[in-house]
Amino acid sequence: MEQPTRPLTVLLVDDEPRFREILAKRLRHRGVSVEEAPGGEEALESMRREAKEVVVLDVKMPGLDGIETLRRLKTAHPECEVILLTGHASPQDGVEGIKAGAFDYLSKPVEFEHLLRKITQARNKIERLRAERREAEFREQIRRQMAVAERLAALGTLASGVAHEINNPLAVIQDSAGWLQQILEKPETADMPRREDFAQALARIQRAVGRARTITRQLLQAVHNPAGDSLETVHLREVSLPAIAEEALALVRREAADRGLALALEASDPPPLAWTDPALLLQVILNLLNNALQATDSGGRVTLRLGVKGEHAVLAVEDTGRGIPPEHLNRIFEPFFTTKEVGRGTGMGLYVSWAIMNRLQGGITVESREGRGATFTLTLPRKPPPTA
Amino acid sequence: MTAASPAVLVVDDEVDFGEVLTLRLREAGENALYARSGRDCLDLLQRQEVEVVILDVRMPDMDGIDTLQAIKQAHPWVEVILLTGHGTIETAVRGVKLGAYDLLIKPADFQELREKLNQARRRRQERIDRPGDTGAIPDPS
Ligand SMILES: Nc1ncnc2c1ncn2[C@@H]1O[C@H](COP(=O)(O)OP(=O)(O)OP(=O)(O)O)[C@@H](O)[C@H]1O
Ligand SMILES: [Mg+2]
Repeated sequence: MEQPTRPLTVLLVDDEPRFREILAKRLRHRGVSVEEAPGGEEALESMRREAKEVVVLDVKMPGLDGIETLRRLKTAHPECEVILLTGHASPQDGVEGIKAGAFDYLSKPVEFEHLLRKITQARNKIERLRAERREAEFREQIRRQMAVAERLAALGTLASGVAHEINNPLAVIQDSAGWLQQILEKPETADMPRREDFAQALARIQRAVGRARTITRQLLQAVHNPAGDSLETVHLREVSLPAIAEEALALVRREAADRGLALALEASDPPPLAWTDPALLLQVILNLLNNALQATDSGGRVTLRLGVKGEHAVLAVEDTGRGIPPEHLNRIFEPFFTTKEVGRGTGMGLYVSWAIMNRLQGGITVESREGRGATFTLTLPRKPPPTA
Repeated sequence: MTAASPAVLVVDDEVDFGEVLTLRLREAGENALYARSGRDCLDLLQRQEVEVVILDVRMPDMDGIDTLQAIKQAHPWVEVILLTGHGTIETAVRGVKLGAYDLLIKPADFQELREKLNQARRRRQERIDRPGDTGAIPDPS
């Protein structure tokens, strides 16, 4: 948010010290924060030290002239607005100045109130451009989020289709191995040659099937079917976030201690409440905590922060770990995206979390600086939606 | 367990799966039978006493839900456990409303399947013991 009371900053550039000083004094008198420069070089130097919003610039100066100074100013500080002061005899300079990007030009001698009005207008233009830029950035961010959501949904549909088809052959493998295991347990096979080899191989098959089954289950659980429902129904109720956060932390305390990490919980007062499904939310928090623990080296810290933002309850998991490289940021929510070794991670955690947050009418976002840790933020409704 | 003990019937169009599950159940001492389709299942039920049917949902021609309805109509005391690779809550709810005892997702845990089997048998017995119960499913509405 812009502070409308923030003083307007102006750089006054003129080679005539008398003129400059008087004008500066009058502007200061009207609450403007003014710096002075006797020439073009000094003006650029002053802007390099600290950018001012509006530059009032004399065109006729020895050394770097006004127009050249203007060009360099606009290149180095595209945000600033420049008002040119031209001698009354040379409106041509003014026209050239406008072409080079000046906000406006005034002829000397300047009428003070008129100049002040122009300065204010220039500043308003800056504010307007800033607001437009913020809005454009916001739109772009939303557009990107929607693109990600669409891609995730498409990937999810594909992946769940595959999961469905895989389940049948998986069942044949599992039950064939299971049948042979049952036979091996019978007294009639007690003396079978190489019985142990069979038993071992069958146990391996069962373990592998178990892994595959976990994946297909997660996928099917995550994905909405077209009717907007999934195998597990959502049970919404009022949930105290500190209580569920404590529950999640208790489940990872041991692992955190083993890894030499500190765990912390910070909750705003009064304790935030959310309108959500505690079991599903717990699953998401655990996914985030496990990721955070796995990304952070001994001596680091993982913090769970709870608060309220407008209509939403907010829950953030913050770590001091290795962070996420920018090129991974928009891929980490995809199913099967993982940077962990085979068998260590399936890349399902964040995808499932994203899908669950969707079902809970909430959201999940990430911020990270490589080497400086990552923060995953969940937003949840605080109250049941108004019944229509 | 003797071959004469009441049977468990596995119904699945995928022969590899249906047969191996039948073998497992037999190995575990059940009198298990196998049928390849909903029609074969209904034929078999005419000739054989069956307590529980383990029924695949997705089958060509006559699917699991159709078969379930036909079973409940002609043999109200038979319990049905649906077994499917496609778990959606609609199928589960629909199946249970139509009188299925439960729904399991493939690949199902064998121990869990056996527990469900025993629970389904118990429910069957309770229904039979209850005087006046015709086995008919209350109108799902
Ligand atoms: N807190 C974090 N810090 C750094 N990288 C992270 C963090 N959380 C997630 N990631 C990155 O995102 C990837 C995807 O995470 P996700 O939880 O989806 O899968 P996974 O942890 O690799 O496997 P799974 O959760 O299925 O065991 C991770 O492999 C890791 O590269
Ligand atoms: Mg994970």
